[in-house]
Amino acid sequence: MNELREKARELLQSGTVKVIIGYAQGTTPLHTKPIIIRFAEDSDKLVMNKYCVNNLSVYLTRKEFKGNGTVGIVAKGCDVKSIVQLIQENQVNKDDLYIIGVNCNGAVSELGKEFSAETVATKCLHCMVRTPHLYHTLIGTQEELPKRADTNFEMLQKLEAMTPDEKWNFWEAEFEKCVKCYACRQACPLCYCERCIADKSVPRWIESSAHTRGNIAWNIIRAFHLSGRCIGCNECERACPAGIPLSLLNRKMGMTAKKEFDYVAGMGLDTPTLVGTFDVKDNEDFIK
Amino acid sequence: MEKIISYENLTKLVDGIIQSGHIAIGQDEKGINWKRLNDAKELKINYASVPSNLSYKEFLFTKTEPVFYFRNNKDNFNLIEPKPEINENSKIVFLGAKPCDSRSIEIMSKVFNWDYKDKFFNQRAVQSIVIGTACNYQDEFCFCTSVGLSPVSEKGSDIFLVPLDDKNFAVKIISEKGKEFIAPYLNLLADENISLDKIIVGIKAPEKKFDTAKVKEWVTNNFEHKIFDDAGATCLSCGQCAFACPVCHCFDIVDEECDYTCGRRMKNWDACQFGLFTLHGSGHNPRETHGKRYRQRVAHKFKYYHDKFDEILCTGCGRCSRGCPAGIDIACVVTNINTVANQA
Repeated sequence: MNELREKARELLQSGTVKVIIGYAQGTTPLHTKPIIIRFAEDSDKLVMNKYCVNNLSVYLTRKEFKGNGTVGIVAKGCDVKSIVQLIQENQVNKDDLYIIGVNCNGAVSELGKEFSAETVATKCLHCMVRTPHLYHTLIGTQEELPKRADTNFEMLQKLEAMTPDEKWNFWEAEFEKCVKCYACRQACPLCYCERCIADKSVPRWIESSAHTRGNIAWNIIRAFHLSGRCIGCNECERACPAGIPLSLLNRKMGMTAKKEFDYVAGMGLDTPTLVGTFDVKDNEDFIK
Repeated sequence: MEKIISYENLTKLVDGIIQSGHIAIGQDEKGINWKRLNDAKELKINYASVPSNLSYKEFLFTKTEPVFYFRNNKDNFNLIEPKPEINENSKIVFLGAKPCDSRSIEIMSKVFNWDYKDKFFNQRAVQSIVIGTACNYQDEFCFCTSVGLSPVSEKGSDIFLVPLDDKNFAVKIISEKGKEFIAPYLNLLADENISLDKIIVGIKAPEKKFDTAKVKEWVTNNFEHKIFDDAGATCLSCGQCAFACPVCHCFDIVDEECDYTCGRRMKNWDACQFGLFTLHGSGHNPRETHGKRYRQRVAHKFKYYHDKFDEILCTGCGRCSRGCPAGIDIACVVTNINTVANQA
């Protein structure tokens, strides 16, 4: 942690960065919260531990950070994936960023729970980027990651084995719980549209009422908008107060992108995005 | 001599409620939300665990509901009243409401009866019976004692349970409504020679974190203070806090058309943290920044509502803070305000 604070102090003092987006101690030792610091003397507020779950890249697309000097950001490998995706989608200028990469030793699935083999987040189980694939400086050392069964994947397999009717019933029951607080959208680094389709009222594409029909329209359209783009940070599911298992949708789409197009979102800075490009060799079998 | 009820008899009570055509509302198995119980076996009285992510306000002030339907024929325009979803003779029984939940109906009633009487809310409030329970849970996010409640507060409950052990509750009948409701089920209660007062005194309460009068005074005089910008700096502008809150009551009115000739007008939850909440038709937004929106949240709860209705618009349940994806803790913010006020 001292390494992080020293580095932050140095970056702010030297003027390399104007601001650092990092983590601070939360309400309890088992919680952290995002913090935005602008002065070197605030560097000691920064922390890095297994409770640093937020994907801070959600803040990078804010107007206040654009064109106002270099932004430093503390990022785990999974957060760097979304940063890469944002750079690919021309939402963030690579040259305005200073990534303080963190050698990650896993994050807890739910804040407030002690980190252990049972509570390590699903996304950490198969993580390929424990050392981030893009950074300006790297801090921390790697330890062994606790292992547990991937129950999320087991659920996904169960879902895949269902008939279309059963799948529909499953998702209808899940989406019925939605309260339309849009925490999923707001916590998502890739939901950066200035005007979300859900907020457009002339014409209204998605009913704003939180009835099952409006909820299905919202959740399915959001899933579509993230297909081939979602990097699997799982912040949407964590933010959802109604406990809707959004990771199942996002993970399935990620698997499809991998299977059909051999594409993993947020990995290659110089590769074109999946849905943002056209190639005559693209698979068109699905168009019937 | 006190009345007590065993857990087993409590499930019999729920059976009775369901069989008489009343609606039993209890917490779901994961502790996320409240739901209509279809079977007494689903009953969970979570007096010793964390409050559910969402409160039961959805059953009083629903997340979405039609205000009226309309049909436009060539010659006439008809407004059609919605049919109430719940039979007007049925009771809506909330089972196991902690003091930070049971207080919510009284607090919300004030705004829903201020000038216009909201018949939707009022109808459900009249039908509701709150079976509250003393609370044996507390964590760093709880602050009921700071807003005038306590883990043993009976305010808002019609019947109040005090857990004695895993299997038995003492029963206190609080209101006339509660007395009338429990009358057919008195055979499920037993007399026991215990001293309830001693048990109640033994229930630990969270430490008082701030003084609401002081906070209100400071907020009144420091509208432009940077404390609000600091608190809102990392806010993501989602509506989790408002939607999880047992007393937040803002709503939006939208029309849903089926085609050019018919449709319905809906009343949907809305939240002051949304950027669109105060966006004017002109394009001007008086609360454009996260800090200004967060100030509204604090000021509405601790000043404006108190000015108007003499109530703090908060029950100290801590749901907004536990669930905030950006880790913003309203009790920390308000405690901070109290500290600054003391220094001034």
